[in-house]
Amino acid sequence: MKMLKTFGSKRSLLLLSLGVAVILLLTVFWDDETQNYAELSHHLLELKEMDARLDRDVFRITSFLLVQYDPLVQTSHRLRELKEKINKKVSLSNRVLSDLFKTYWEGMDEKLDILERIKFQAAVVRNGIHYLPIAAQELKAVDPNAYRAILELLNSLYTYDLFYTDSLLEDINSTLKQLKKRSPSSSVSQQKLEHVLFHVDSNLEKLMELGALKTRYLAIPSLEYFEEIHSKHEQVRVTETTKKRRLIIILSVVVFVLLLGLWQLIRSLQKAHQEVNRAWYRLHDAVDNLSEAFALFDAEGRLVLHNRRFGEFYPWLKDWIIEGVNVSALQSVTGSRIQNLSLEGDAVFGTTPMGQYLEQVDNGAWYLASNNLTNEGGIVCVRSDITESKQAEVDLRKLGRVLEQSPASVMITNTKGEIEYVNPRFERVSGYSAAEVVGKNPRILKSGDKTKEEYAEMWSALLAGKEWRGIFHNKRKDGSIYWESASISPLRDDRGQITHFIAVKEDVTAQKRAEDQLRMNATVFETTAEGIMVTDADNMIKTVNPAFSRITGYPAEEAIGHSPSMLSSGRHDNEFYEALWDSVLQKKYWTGEIWNRRKDGSVFPEWLSIAAIPGEDGVAKEYVAVFSDITKHKQDEEQIRYQANYDALTGLPNRSLLSDRLVQAIGSAHREKWKLAILFIDLDQFKMVNDTFGHVVGDELLQQVATRIGECTRESDTVARFGGDEFIILLQDVSDMDAVANIATKVIKKITQVFTLYEREIYIGASVGITIFPDDAANADSLLRNADMAMYQAKGRGRNSYQFFTASMQQRTLERQQLELDLRLAIERGELEIYYQPVMDANHDRVISVEALLRWNHPHRGIVSPTVFIPLAEDSGLIGPIGEWVIKGACKQLSQWQNSGYHDLKLAVNLSSRQRELGLEASYLKQILDDNRLSPDALNLEMTESLLMRDTDEAITWLASFKALGVNLSVDDFGTGYSSLSYLKRFPVDVLKIDRSFVSDLPSNSEDASLVKTIVAMAGSLNLGLIAEGVETEEQADFLVGIGCYNLQGFYYAKPMTAASMTSWLSSGFQETGTT
Amino acid sequence: MHNILKSIVIVCYFVSVVLADGVKNEPIQPLFMEPDLDPRLVTLGDRLFHDTRLSQDNSLSCASCHVLSTGGSDHRARSVGAGGAVGGIKAPTVYNSRYNFVQFWDGRALSLEAQASGPVHNPIEMNSNWEEVISKLSHDPAMMEAFDTLFEDSITGDNITIAIAAFERSLVTVNSRFDRWLQGERGALTEKELRGYRLFKSYGCISCHQGVNVGGNMYGFMGAMGDYFEERDSEITEADLGRYNVTRRIEDKHYFKVPSLRLAAINPPYFHDGSASTLDEAVRIMGRYQLGREIPEGDIKDIVAFLFSLVGEHIRLKP
Repeated sequence: MKMLKTFGSKRSLLLLSLGVAVILLLTVFWDDETQNYAELSHHLLELKEMDARLDRDVFRITSFLLVQYDPLVQTSHRLRELKEKINKKVSLSNRVLSDLFKTYWEGMDEKLDILERIKFQAAVVRNGIHYLPIAAQELKAVDPNAYRAILELLNSLYTYDLFYTDSLLEDINSTLKQLKKRSPSSSVSQQKLEHVLFHVDSNLEKLMELGALKTRYLAIPSLEYFEEIHSKHEQVRVTETTKKRRLIIILSVVVFVLLLGLWQLIRSLQKAHQEVNRAWYRLHDAVDNLSEAFALFDAEGRLVLHNRRFGEFYPWLKDWIIEGVNVSALQSVTGSRIQNLSLEGDAVFGTTPMGQYLEQVDNGAWYLASNNLTNEGGIVCVRSDITESKQAEVDLRKLGRVLEQSPASVMITNTKGEIEYVNPRFERVSGYSAAEVVGKNPRILKSGDKTKEEYAEMWSALLAGKEWRGIFHNKRKDGSIYWESASISPLRDDRGQITHFIAVKEDVTAQKRAEDQLRMNATVFETTAEGIMVTDADNMIKTVNPAFSRITGYPAEEAIGHSPSMLSSGRHDNEFYEALWDSVLQKKYWTGEIWNRRKDGSVFPEWLSIAAIPGEDGVAKEYVAVFSDITKHKQDEEQIRYQANYDALTGLPNRSLLSDRLVQAIGSAHREKWKLAILFIDLDQFKMVNDTFGHVVGDELLQQVATRIGECTRESDTVARFGGDEFIILLQDVSDMDAVANIATKVIKKITQVFTLYEREIYIGASVGITIFPDDAANADSLLRNADMAMYQAKGRGRNSYQFFTASMQQRTLERQQLELDLRLAIERGELEIYYQPVMDANHDRVISVEALLRWNHPHRGIVSPTVFIPLAEDSGLIGPIGEWVIKGACKQLSQWQNSGYHDLKLAVNLSSRQRELGLEASYLKQILDDNRLSPDALNLEMTESLLMRDTDEAITWLASFKALGVNLSVDDFGTGYSSLSYLKRFPVDVLKIDRSFVSDLPSNSEDASLVKTIVAMAGSLNLGLIAEGVETEEQADFLVGIGCYNLQGFYYAKPMTAASMTSWLSSGFQETGTT
Repeated sequence: MHNILKSIVIVCYFVSVVLADGVKNEPIQPLFMEPDLDPRLVTLGDRLFHDTRLSQDNSLSCASCHVLSTGGSDHRARSVGAGGAVGGIKAPTVYNSRYNFVQFWDGRALSLEAQASGPVHNPIEMNSNWEEVISKLSHDPAMMEAFDTLFEDSITGDNITIAIAAFERSLVTVNSRFDRWLQGERGALTEKELRGYRLFKSYGCISCHQGVNVGGNMYGFMGAMGDYFEERDSEITEADLGRYNVTRRIEDKHYFKVPSLRLAAINPPYFHDGSASTLDEAVRIMGRYQLGREIPEGDIKDIVAFLFSLVGEHIRLKP
């Protein structure tokens, strides 16, 4: 190998030197110089030609043969180009040559220079020669003598042109002189002659110049220069060639020597090659005789070497295994014939796995394969046939698997009792891994319940070569105990010697467990609180538990053998039992509530579950009934139902139960064609009691009221608490309306009687509304609503009265609904209008404020009274938007009035308590005031006493928020309600308005007069402002002013009027009253 | 195969015979467009020719003095350069300049490329230099792209002149009526023009104004048969010295390149000093000083008529 390498390096060195030598040789042959020389020679040739052409053309010019100079220009251009090219080449090579060229170019340049002059000179001369005869001809006409002389002169001149000799020139000059001296015959002739002579003169001069130029031109020895250059050029060439030849010889010798060396090298290489071949053959032979299959692939995967066995191992590759075949080709031919497995038997992926693995061939053969990389990156493949040992291994493994997968635990010990093998089942059952137990004694499993004697007996049996069977109570690794039924037998070798013991054990813990379970079940059966009864297929009681006896009162012996029907309460019909048995037979179970009878005859509810226990054939074999006494549970249920339906306070049916009863009653009344009466009772003043004395007293009062109402009715009638202080009496089978009225009277009478509560005497009243089914309505809701409406009617008529619902009420309800609808649209339709009524300061006879009053101009009804539509608006919630609309509009109007001069004018707007609930807030009011640039002081909000009376805390907060803005608050209709000083103190009120009812009879009614006086005094003491409403006469005004009430409002001064009327009223000095 | 070759040879022979026979054997030869130009180079040269960035104050381009539409010159006796500087010599036409054997009146440039850099550097012409011009043009991406495509060394002074010269080589006014007459078209010339041409030859104008460019292929002495400068009645300027300015040889004083008469008819005024404002006058002066003869008016008219027939066509030329 080393030898080969040495050869390799020597060879390459040799080849390299040979290459260099050959290249040198070629370079010498194909030298640039040669090229240069050739080119220069070519240029020289051309140069010579151009020079010659130049000379030729000069001769043509001077002989006046060249009519145009373009070719001459081309020649001189070409010469210049050549000069440039040659200079480039020559300056590079040879100094001597370069100098020669320099001389040559100097000559050439001069030649060209002279040529340029010749070109012009020749042109002039030619013109002269051409013109002179013409000029002479002109002379002929005027002076024939002179003409003849001139003609002679011209002849001499042309002769001189052809052969210029000095003697001829002298002749011409002397003739010319004579002619110039000649006296002319006339001035014209003189002029003509002079003109001719001038031309002859100048022609001669130019001709001579031309001649001189030509002589100068010819004197330039360009050809000689050229010859020198040429010979020098040739000389250089010869020298170069000699040098080159010498070099070629030397190089040739070198090449020859190198070739000789190469031949020698090739010979020794051949020798080495033979050596290698021999070695190769030996290797091949050795490999071929291996018992293993062998193949070697090079780094590119080509087969380099293989042996016969390799082909035998893979018979399908017979035609493929040739040196150079690619491993991938072999693999593709093989396809899936071979399966690769690791030594552990796992599948191996990849076509050529490295290292050791197994090949399983589809013909059943097994090869141990080994692939390894060689140093150069190839692969060495070795295969040995292990089919036989593999078969044995397979058999062994099969047996092993029997042990491994056996459902029984298997343990093999040696004769010393040390564990040698346990199977996976053992591991699973005992919790010990094989590694943990191998080498140990099986007694690690001992739980300790077997006596030494038992073990000794076992061992003696085993050592005697007998099989031993028994049950072990063993302990798992985690300490838990399990039962094993074991069979231990000795294993003998070929000679019959006992070598091992094998224990085959089965986990019987589950069986043991089942027994325990049974035992436990029995205990449950005995001790459970639920009664259990088992009947046979014929439904005869087989067994009962103690709870059964406890619940039913029947001891087991009295129950067993009897039918369960002995418990029947008789409360359920046959259908019930049929359904029960249907379910048991079909669904195999039934659960439900059932009433049974005890031995003592008492009936009790029980929650019963019956299950059918099917036999192996699927037909019910036994039935198990489990039941519990649910008497207590039933009672609880009753309680809940009661609470849902009865009023906790009074014990009367509540609203929901009443609804049910009413629906039922309507149903039966319908059937029986009788009438029902519903009495709606509302307590008067109850809220007062509640507010004044507290809820405890209120609740007590309600209880007593309930009792009293109950006393007025029959047992079959229903008295219900409908809500708060409302009660309902439902009378069934009513025929006589007087009787109903009587009951109502009785109720009112009872309630109006004094109640004594906590040593207090309390009086309240009741209003009753009555409605009759089916006369007034057909359904429960309508009936209740009617009764409610009738009750309100009764209340409206004065307290403590009753009122039957009437058709007119019905009518009114409908009307009210229609009106509400109309009101809803009134704002949009512009039917609402704000009227203003002034409040006068009677003392000073001036307007201090105006009250905004709402008018509804209904399209059909005409003017609708505020007493009608305001409550409607309040009920429907429309008072919200309407109220805001009024405040907005009135404020805007006030702002206009203030701006037009009534700076101190104030505004009063009515406020409803509903507006609070509907979300009127101080911030909104502030916005309106700001928008209209009004001082809050200019606005007065009026509210009724009733507003002050209700929901006091929230109302106070609400009013206080307005007050905080700086707005004034006044109480309207003061004196009509529960005016109370304490209220006045608590509310942030600024002004009281004395109700018109007190004013109307003034001053004649002394009672009213004193009341009004009292109010005035009171307002004075509370520092409240005061306005009297409804002032209609002068006397009334005078009286009021007389007692100190100066602010008056009423028709006496002005009716409410539209904004426009008000404006003109204000401006007219309060003369006219309003239009309304 | 042989037949094809044979027919090609025969066709070539006939074509050459026809061409040779087609053109009259006269001292003036028709102008021709040589197909030796790279269109991309010509386009670039066209742009540069019209680019004012070539002048110092971005006011002048080549086209400012060589107005292509009117005849390739500026019709002034002396051109106006950067900053209003007045030049010393009449600007010759740029048309057909490729057929001039040297450039400038004094022949100081042997090639169009050498000529093109002249005015750029001339303080009274464009008054700039390559460094300045290149720095200006480098900011023009389109221009740079054209240079990058056409030249390995992109934009250089030499490459600018190469492009401009290529464009100038494309400025050839072919197909003049005279050329058509030369090529055998009967009736291309009127009697008067033909008479003019004959006079042009017989008077000897043709001795200098010959070849394809009707001049432009030799130098001539201004005042061969009379002292032009003496009689011109104005100071002798540096420009009047002609080729002397190049060679510094006494004998080259007042030597000028014989100008081409191809577009003389449409490029007044005349001579290197622009002293003759009409063609008639120019012909008269030429007769007097170059031929030593007074040419009668009738003959002058005829010669002028002939000179008009020399004006050829070019797409940019709209006289």
